[in-house]
Amino acid sequence: MSEMNSDKAEPNLTPLLDMVFQLITFFMLVINFKGASLDMSLKLPVLGSARPLEHSGKLEPLLLNVDAEGNVKAGGQSVEIEPLVAREASMLKEQLKFAGTPVEGDGTLPVTVIIRADRGAPFKLVNQVITVCQNHGYRKFSLSAMTKE
Amino acid sequence: MRRRHKNCRDQGSVEMNLAAMLDMAFQLLTFFILTFRPAPIEGQLALNLPSPGIVDRGVPALPLQRLVDEQPDLEILHLQVVADPSGDVKEVSVEKSATISGPLKSGNLQALERNLQAIFGQKHIPYDRVQIAVDGQLHYGELMKIVDVCAHQKLADGETIQRISFIEL
Repeated sequence: MSEMNSDKAEPNLTPLLDMVFQLITFFMLVINFKGASLDMSLKLPVLGSARPLEHSGKLEPLLLNVDAEGNVKAGGQSVEIEPLVAREASMLKEQLKFAGTPVEGDGTLPVTVIIRADRGAPFKLVNQVITVCQNHGYRKFSLSAMTKE
Repeated sequence: MRRRHKNCRDQGSVEMNLAAMLDMAFQLLTFFILTFRPAPIEGQLALNLPSPGIVDRGVPALPLQRLVDEQPDLEILHLQVVADPSGDVKEVSVEKSATISGPLKSGNLQALERNLQAIFGQKHIPYDRVQIAVDGQLHYGELMKIVDVCAHQKLADGETIQRISFIEL
């Protein structure tokens, strides 16, 4: 009786808030922060034998997107491949030196280069990117592909 | 002060104003919805590519059987892929022996697979890696179809081939 007499109606917001928090939790769990560095316009080749990358360790792989014209994108921006790889390799060597595990011997860097190349790109353009990385000490490569069409 | 204290005690319960929290929660929800981008279902083909100076660029010119007889410690199976001007496959050779010609369709891929199965099925052939000499004009997608066929092959010990490398023709 006293509620009916009150001037304002107050809806119970608790269930609504519960639902919103559940949605937020869902989106927080599935959010992909690395998605920004992936060029989603690329049409990757189809490779049935492709497997998820087994990434272990603290060192993040170097991700390079190569479109059909051979343009390279990294971190969402178009970049010149030679300066980028040189800078990344130099920073990695400094990082390893600082961590007490400097690069030894033939200068092989313990980081994987992930290459996401468009299926229409001529091999020579993709090979140029691979060669630049090899010249700076990268030996481990991972070629991205769709597992099915 | 005294009156408010009395009011609260009269009601018997404390009611928080949830509107502000709901506003904030909706803002967070909007942010997550707008930035939501599901991760694509991608796989990776792991390769260990030595520096260009180390790669064996020599493609043997001998027939396969003679090659095996004369070089029992042979490890690398050489494939050569020639492209047509449009970037499709024109010809694939295994150890200089033309295996398929024309674009990669299911029939051609099956022929290549059978050929490679026949080679790797011979237990006395000590191949454990494949080196593909690729025409620079070939589309990357076409090359990956050939790589896929190679990656399916099993060695004499039952393991699939892990060591695949490329050189440009």
